[in-house]
Amino acid sequence: MHTLAPFYLALTALGVLPILIHLMGRRRARVRPLPTLLLLYASHKRVAQRTQVRHVLLLLLRVLLFIVAPLILAKPYLETESPLPQGIGQTRSAVIVLDDSLSMRYVPGHKGATRRGGSLFARAKLRAQQVMEALPSSSEVALVLGSRGNHTPVRELTSDRVRLFGVLNQLQPTLGADDLPGALARAMQLLHTVQKERRHVYVITDGTTHALSSLVRPAEDVGLSIIDVSEGDRAQNSSILEIYSEPAPSLGARAFRISAEVANFGETPLRELAVTLNIDGQPVSSGFVDVPAHGRSTKRFLHSFRSTAPPIAGTAAPPSSPAPPVSDERRSTAETDPGGGLHHVSVSIPHDGLLEDDERHLRVEVQRHLRVLILDGDPRGLRRDDEAYYIETALHPSERPLAENTPFLVQTAPLDEHIPELREFEAVILCNAKAEDIRRLKLDRALRSYVAGGGGLLLSMGGNVEVEQYNTTLLDLLPQPLSMVKTMGALGAERVAEDNKEGEAAPLGSGERLGRLDRRHVLLQPFLSSQASESLMEARFGRYVLLQPTPKNESESGVILSFESGAPALIERQIERGRVLLFTSSLDRDWNDLPIQPSFLPLLQQAIRYLSRAPIRDAEAPILIGQPREIHLQTADARVELALPSGQKRLYERLQGRRLLTYPDTFEAGYYRVFSAPDPGAWRPRLSEFFVVNVDPKEMDLTPADARLIKGIERSAPVLTGPADLGTSPRRRIDLWHWLGLFTLLFLVSEALLFRQR
Amino acid sequence: MSALLDWPVLARLQSLQLLARVVAEGALSGMHRAAHHGSSVEFAEHKEYAPGDDLKHIDWRAYGRIDKYYVKRFEEETELRGYLLVDVSGSMGYGRTEITKLQYTKILTAALCYLRLRQNDPTGLVLFGQELTRYVPPHAGGAHLAELCATLEGVSATGATALPDGLAYLSEVARRRSLIVVLSDLLPPSMRDGEVSANEQLVQYAEQVRARLCGLRAQKHDVIVLQVLDPDELELPFQGLTWFEDIEPTPQGPARLFVDPADVRAAYQAELGRYLTDMQQGLRQGDVEYHLVNTAHPPQETLLALLNGPLRRRTRR
Repeated sequence: MHTLAPFYLALTALGVLPILIHLMGRRRARVRPLPTLLLLYASHKRVAQRTQVRHVLLLLLRVLLFIVAPLILAKPYLETESPLPQGIGQTRSAVIVLDDSLSMRYVPGHKGATRRGGSLFARAKLRAQQVMEALPSSSEVALVLGSRGNHTPVRELTSDRVRLFGVLNQLQPTLGADDLPGALARAMQLLHTVQKERRHVYVITDGTTHALSSLVRPAEDVGLSIIDVSEGDRAQNSSILEIYSEPAPSLGARAFRISAEVANFGETPLRELAVTLNIDGQPVSSGFVDVPAHGRSTKRFLHSFRSTAPPIAGTAAPPSSPAPPVSDERRSTAETDPGGGLHHVSVSIPHDGLLEDDERHLRVEVQRHLRVLILDGDPRGLRRDDEAYYIETALHPSERPLAENTPFLVQTAPLDEHIPELREFEAVILCNAKAEDIRRLKLDRALRSYVAGGGGLLLSMGGNVEVEQYNTTLLDLLPQPLSMVKTMGALGAERVAEDNKEGEAAPLGSGERLGRLDRRHVLLQPFLSSQASESLMEARFGRYVLLQPTPKNESESGVILSFESGAPALIERQIERGRVLLFTSSLDRDWNDLPIQPSFLPLLQQAIRYLSRAPIRDAEAPILIGQPREIHLQTADARVELALPSGQKRLYERLQGRRLLTYPDTFEAGYYRVFSAPDPGAWRPRLSEFFVVNVDPKEMDLTPADARLIKGIERSAPVLTGPADLGTSPRRRIDLWHWLGLFTLLFLVSEALLFRQR
Repeated sequence: MSALLDWPVLARLQSLQLLARVVAEGALSGMHRAAHHGSSVEFAEHKEYAPGDDLKHIDWRAYGRIDKYYVKRFEEETELRGYLLVDVSGSMGYGRTEITKLQYTKILTAALCYLRLRQNDPTGLVLFGQELTRYVPPHAGGAHLAELCATLEGVSATGATALPDGLAYLSEVARRRSLIVVLSDLLPPSMRDGEVSANEQLVQYAEQVRARLCGLRAQKHDVIVLQVLDPDELELPFQGLTWFEDIEPTPQGPARLFVDPADVRAAYQAELGRYLTDMQQGLRQGDVEYHLVNTAHPPQETLLALLNGPLRRRTRR
């Protein structure tokens, strides 16, 4: 302890004054005769103990008062070693890089379920404030955040401390990963205009290996100080590192094996760590796992969605919106197919110092049976000459009879009077049908009503298609009117014959290939890689139907696949609540060889799923905090609403012509639900667009960086000429006289109260 | 007369006899219309004549006025002896002002003697300190007052209290039914060293005194106790750290207690109040009149209160 005016300390000797006064008063006390002394004795005995304690306390308080008063005048203070870097007392232009990544949320000393004390980020804010206070008032400071996302709360160098403190006070740690190199680069940009010897960057971080390993020493003329706020605390963190699911066919079509990789980043092995599986927010199963120190273990759960899980909550509308109408077809499907659809799966462990990484989310699709009706316009006696044969084979490739794990229930019907009720099916394929049959059976109206009600229709061409009559009969359904049939190569039997005449040139040419794929379309997700799309591009088309051009602004259609010539091969149209796909060639080998290509099966299955609005397999990489998510818009969508894991909502209006909505603010971990609505129209869930966001696994490892690594990054500040002593660490002064003043006040009040008690 | 009745002035009078007379007359004048019966043969009431009544008691004036025979009835004429026991122990010598408790008691006693002798009641005096100091047998007549006053003037407060012994002595000398007035502070003697606590000593002493007084009452005496206390004893008004010392020394020297009066004042007053209440209730249960006398009040006021209270009934018997 030090004092500013030490000569006042001599006055503390006055502390003996009350004792002297007491002793003198005792000696000089009067002697009085009193006849009632016996009564005085009796009464004194009753109160002696109490009065004695009070007298001692009074004496003590008075002694303290006489001691504390000179102490206040002496202005005592404590001086402690400052955790701030050397040379901070000199005027500089400094950028403070504040690490606000997920790992800064760690609370040291966490025990059980309660979080005691402050997080590392709270420490970091305090340290940033101390740096700002320690820098001379003329020093200019800017503030840059260290998490991914180019966050710079104070974009220019300023000496306005009030503003800096205000901004600092508002900061909260994110869930994102750190990007200290990026932050350092932004800091260097801010310091670009400053005199070289006055540049300095203070990086305030938790000092973890993952945060600092990518950091490189800056240019020679910039000082860099790493301020580690972990203060040597060894973090004991465990987390769910990864979670993934895979079907478990041995237990049934809806059974899944869900595996969670649990990591222990601490020094102590974890025994019987409870791991819980949650389905749609409800815990369904728990287990225990032992995880060695700095090791990993995998916990596996087997779960059958058929027996336990209800249909995905995603079929519910956002709370702020009216429930979307569910078509009878879908309702019947949901009733007969419980457990199918989309599910939010998560695995969690008990909370520790970093609770945000104790749960990880997964989106699991459980296939439901899709009933498909093939309306065969050209039935043949020989199966391989029939379109229905190729379609059935693509949708049900197994040789076994109807198996439980078959997603499609296919029924084929010729165009006669016994066509089944369309409402019973999720998708209808009308292949190579004659227009007169369609009109005769009044199928055009039935199909129009079916699609408007939410059904999916795939139209394929063939020899029975007459362009003009089709345009007349199916104008309301066709994505674009048909124009003419174009022949580019050998057809059906001709091609077979050509194949037998090896080495001879085909008289009609080799046909046309597909030229362009709309890779952003969900239907084509299996063909995103070049390898996957190779067989699709290999298919040759000898004949297809050209479409009439339609002005873009009037068209509700979109081209998914095109030929090399640019003519549409697969085109879609949204009609009210349903979809129509038009394949401009045939679905058998008459006009092309696509049915014998490996790509035919996934293409047709994806098309049926797309038409029936079944969730399409998510081939995307998992989204991490801060990564943008692209949401595919349907033709009729005018508004899109996102329900965040926290329950908050984000509403977006569609811009004219946009087919994608990019949502960048994935700052919450959990399950995001997407709803869309036409204008006007009711909200409907977009199951295929639901997604989960998880925290970056690299933020879970809180292993401190090696001291040599930090030394290798740090660079001393250039020495400036000035009065500050750069050789020693700055010291921090803590004034004590405020506290002493408070104690004096308390003593005075206590003394008065005690004195009045007589 | 009014100037003389001013108490501080009266207190300076050297002659106790004169002082007694002034105080007594002052008290009597304060009684105003209150009936003062100086004669021992007193008319009490009329009674309609009945055969057998003494004819000499027929009120002929009343017969002349209302034409009916009425017989006068008189109180029985008796000679009521009186003993005044004055405590002259050391504690009675306390007084911060000019008047000590003993001086005050002397004036009060002399005034009472004056009043009794004025109505020709034989009055005696017992002065008792640690032992019997003086005994003046009861006599009637105005000349006896001078002897009583001289006796009172010649005594001073000294020694330890032995009031129970004094009461025992009185019970022996007062054979006939008498009026006994005890003037004392009724305070216990000095604190005794030993196992008995101050509380127990107080209780034991009070019981002893009460027993003796009630014993006198049981002997058919009319007993009046005047407890004379100084305002200092009643209120403990002192300030600052004080050594309090017993006024009645013991062989081991005076007992002392170092205390801040402010600390114990409330507890002391409660203790004293309890002691006085117990004494008063105990005496009343034994049919003994009790009166607390504060020496801060002028003695004629005290005497007036006594004449209007306990003494009024006793003297009219």
